[in-house]
Amino acid sequence: MALGADRYASRADTLLFLGCVGLSVAAMSLPDNWRDPIAQGLRQTVLAPFLALQQQTELLSAARAHYDAVVAQRDSAALAATFLPELRNENGRLRSLLGLGVRLAWGYVPAEVLHQPEPTNPLTFVVSAGRRNGVRPLSPVVSPEGLVGVVATVDAKTSVVLTWAHPEFRVSAIAADGSVSGIVAPHGAAGPEVWLLELQGVPFRQQVPEGTVILTSGLGGVFPRGIPIGRVVGLGGEAKGWERTYLIRPAIHPAALSHVMILTAARGSGSDLRGAFQSDSVGP
Amino acid sequence: MRKTDRYRYLLVLVGLVVLHFTVRERLGGDRIAPDFLLLALLIYTIRAQPGRSAAAGFVIGLLRDALTPASFGAGALAHTLVGYLSSWAKAVFFAENVFVNGWLFFAGTWLRNLVVLLASGRLAGAQLGWELLVWSPLQSLTTAAVGIGVLWLFSGWLAIRRGDA
Repeated sequence: MALGADRYASRADTLLFLGCVGLSVAAMSLPDNWRDPIAQGLRQTVLAPFLALQQQTELLSAARAHYDAVVAQRDSAALAATFLPELRNENGRLRSLLGLGVRLAWGYVPAEVLHQPEPTNPLTFVVSAGRRNGVRPLSPVVSPEGLVGVVATVDAKTSVVLTWAHPEFRVSAIAADGSVSGIVAPHGAAGPEVWLLELQGVPFRQQVPEGTVILTSGLGGVFPRGIPIGRVVGLGGEAKGWERTYLIRPAIHPAALSHVMILTAARGSGSDLRGAFQSDSVGP
Repeated sequence: MRKTDRYRYLLVLVGLVVLHFTVRERLGGDRIAPDFLLLALLIYTIRAQPGRSAAAGFVIGLLRDALTPASFGAGALAHTLVGYLSSWAKAVFFAENVFVNGWLFFAGTWLRNLVVLLASGRLAGAQLGWELLVWSPLQSLTTAAVGIGVLWLFSGWLAIRRGDA
């Protein structure tokens, strides 16, 4: 059977097509307070089984990746079971595998990143922890390397993370030695310095040497103090002799993440997470 | 067309959707791994009328937008356009050859990424260039390769040449 002229678009096809285009344009024009509930509703209903499937696959993949380690641990545990004193240290050894989790000690939720193939995925992505896990909007999201972003929307079992690459992302920052402070924002989408951040609002008289580690300052109440953001790679610009902007290479690229940690508990204003992150987490 | 043919056809599409949420992440990075969901749409458009293809594209696009809110609406628009144009092109160009279908998969994936990037307005300059000239062609290539494989394996089930959808 051949495809013939009957397969050309009829008037009904054209009307349906135009209707869908119109709805798409309307969706693009929706304000955030309309768009978020729609997206949230879709994630919690139609997409929920698929996200659960993806999450289970992630868990399975992680389980396979750690299979040898788990087998080794099991053998060690079996051996240790013959020596009662060793059992007392068992929990501590297993906890040490958690790395950052142990250093953070409390107030965090681990989550798998459910990547999507769209080109805009590094700007926002879905993670496998939600309201039931204690995640709240504006919860900071980190990896062992440093700052990843902030939770934008929370569903029952999943959350949407707005990464540092998103044009609307901002964080108050300070140099590791406390000498300079400013606001860190995405550098922009054009030019050779894509996927960089920039430290804005540095007084003109203050120089920031290349290689300086930039941390969250804790101001603003969203991000705790001491989360590595990145390392200064050079001067980005000067604003008429009163302000400098410095380029920062981020600690971690969102596309490289498979797991993140969401800080769920409010930490005191004096708390400093610097010790929780590896000192060499922000590359040389 | 027998009833069992229709079920087999649906089975292939459902299989692609399941693959999208299970094995896709293990086939390379996000930017180059084949897009099984888009492939399911493109295979659906082989048999469906352009209007239904556009509607299917809109639904898939909107669902994907819920997972990537940075470009909400852009995915729906892109998938609508790709669904409609793919179905229309199949009718006009009378594509029977598996490699012509492969080319259609390639073009459909690249066009989807182009529309998402332009409609969302999130990327520009060199970043846009890299996405469109490097990453998107790679993803289109892997998607087309998988698509050709699916058509080759399930040609009997898919019965590509149909006018009754």
